[in-house]
Amino acid sequence: MIAQAIGGNLDYAVMLCYFIAVLGFGLYFGRYTTTTKDFFFGGQRFSWWLISFSCVATVVGSYSFIKYSTVGFKHGICSTQSYLNDWFWMPILVLVWIPIIYYMKIQSIPEYLEVRFDKKTRIAATFIILLYLIGYIGINLITLGRTLHMLLGWQVMTGAVITAVAVGLYVYIGGQTAVIMTDLVQGIILLIAGLGLFAAAIYHFGGFGEFWSLLPQEHKYAFSDFNAPPKFSFVGIYVQDGLANTGALMLMHQGFIMRFLSLKSVKDSRRMVVCWILVLAPLAAIATSCGGWIARALVNNGELTTEASDSFVKAAHFLCSPGIFGFVLAALTAALMSTADTLVNAVSAIFVNDIWRPYVKPGSSDKHYLRVARITSLCAAGLGLALVPIFMKDTIYGAHSMFTAAVTPPVLTAIFLGIIWKRYTPAAAFVTIAGGAVLIGLSFIWPDALVGPFDFGMGPDSYKFMRALFGLLAAGTLGVSVTWFTKPKPEAKLKGLVAGTQIDAMRKFKGCQPNLKPGGKVRLQTKLDKSLAGKNVVIVSQPALDKMAAELGDLLYASHIRWWYGGLRSVHVKAGPPAGSDQSELILISPEDAATAHFTEGQQVVVEKIM
Amino acid sequence: MNMLRVWPIVCQFGVGALLCIIGIWCGLRGGYLNLKIAEDRRFVVILVAGFLLMLAIVCIFTFLAPYWANGEPL
Repeated sequence: MIAQAIGGNLDYAVMLCYFIAVLGFGLYFGRYTTTTKDFFFGGQRFSWWLISFSCVATVVGSYSFIKYSTVGFKHGICSTQSYLNDWFWMPILVLVWIPIIYYMKIQSIPEYLEVRFDKKTRIAATFIILLYLIGYIGINLITLGRTLHMLLGWQVMTGAVITAVAVGLYVYIGGQTAVIMTDLVQGIILLIAGLGLFAAAIYHFGGFGEFWSLLPQEHKYAFSDFNAPPKFSFVGIYVQDGLANTGALMLMHQGFIMRFLSLKSVKDSRRMVVCWILVLAPLAAIATSCGGWIARALVNNGELTTEASDSFVKAAHFLCSPGIFGFVLAALTAALMSTADTLVNAVSAIFVNDIWRPYVKPGSSDKHYLRVARITSLCAAGLGLALVPIFMKDTIYGAHSMFTAAVTPPVLTAIFLGIIWKRYTPAAAFVTIAGGAVLIGLSFIWPDALVGPFDFGMGPDSYKFMRALFGLLAAGTLGVSVTWFTKPKPEAKLKGLVAGTQIDAMRKFKGCQPNLKPGGKVRLQTKLDKSLAGKNVVIVSQPALDKMAAELGDLLYASHIRWWYGGLRSVHVKAGPPAGSDQSELILISPEDAATAHFTEGQQVVVEKIM
Repeated sequence: MNMLRVWPIVCQFGVGALLCIIGIWCGLRGGYLNLKIAEDRRFVVILVAGFLLMLAIVCIFTFLAPYWANGEPL
């Protein structure tokens, strides 16, 4: 690691401006948060492209630029392989998991585990997931503290405190809306910075061919060797990242669940996922790894000397002029904040929905829960911060990594089997989570006996990765075995909760048979109508209903005509009885629905049928 | 051909295909994914196209690109 600060005053000024801008941006969106639904799910009104960018910003953590550039420097372009597994999970995510949680109005993973299985599974999962998330916040804060120490020479704790305060503050005020909007900006910044650095390097070398020729041949493969080297073999990375981590990210990460639930409709999730996984994630993979590739080419060209862990910063410092380097540093900061804010909001959601609301103070007003959610956000940031001094001792940092490795495969397996297999029983789910975690815990005591048989001949150096394979197989075997000897839930109680019953979930969501006929969008002018107050209904003309293929009682979505608002000014309403022909260009809407959407009288809006 | 370079592709895209098939089958069960609807058909096409695109890119960066600037035979 570099001991002294890098960069000049102009770089620090750019970073400071960035910090202030993001904080202000997040605080500004506080005015869109008035209910817990807004705080946790952004009012469920956002467009697919907005969520795509925010997902990328969340996936790219504070450690990504440093970690993947280090791997890129050592092993070449196969550093991107961690980002290329998501597509395979997409059908399960889009066709099963998102419809289930969205239409069944599930607010947290533990809540799903209770309705699908039983209360004890929910309680076990609640504490495991909370520990996992809070520990994760601590790890993110310490990673940024160490990065800022390297870049600016600050104490690790100073960087962690400043970041925790900034993140805690804008999540406290703006909730999920602030998280999504700031993540949009941060996602764009980190992509511009990373890809800009790559473009600058290609220009510096005189073309892609020249750059490519400076890389050693073994650095030009998409994947590393199947089972070599033990610390970066394909199979190790694949089972740990491609199966366990990616599966966990898609199915059990509360932050992502909340992001998916922020979409205006389930239909939008398809576009969102395609844009995120097929377009933005590969770009992010290049953006985060290219520092290492560039540093390797510079070293081979005799222009730079560096260690692998410094490769991103040294390559950026070599290629960027003052000010621009500050922008790249800001992108590093963006990567941290956009991950930490999601985790803080997720902790708040689980605490309120799975502890406070059901056990501490049930039946209170939404305003009360919103206040608790906000306070919990600050506490989550504070708890994460309190872990920083503890995690500075490497053994405890390592212990948390072990804990993460122990809890991810069992919970992931329980959710996966729970959504695809009706026969999977509540008892089996509990054994999968508890028994799986115990078995993985034992694998730390007897690694050779338990993980050794799955190491593909790579030896103890590979156990860190191959433990994920052992965990998935152990938890899966337990779950399947116990299922055959225990009684499943009656099918009637599983409607909407497992694959094959998504239409039932849609029916429950709408309250009647869903209208699946494809329809178009109509552009109408708002007219406030006090007689519609409290009904959440709008009146549009019959031709407008026909164009949308909508019927009385269908769920509609009205939004501002400017698409780039991304749904920030929008509202979900139900179609009322059609208006007369003299009002063919109008949408009659109640004042409170108009206020929710920030619509004014006489405003042009776009209306479409959701279901 | 170095099979240590081939097995990763077989493993990633083999297990990946299995996951995709499970997802699509779960969508088709109960009629949530309805191939009579154009939008659903388009989605399946995009899914398959994305799979093949990624496979093509990985193959290029395994069997072709490593040799581009080195002048060595495939």
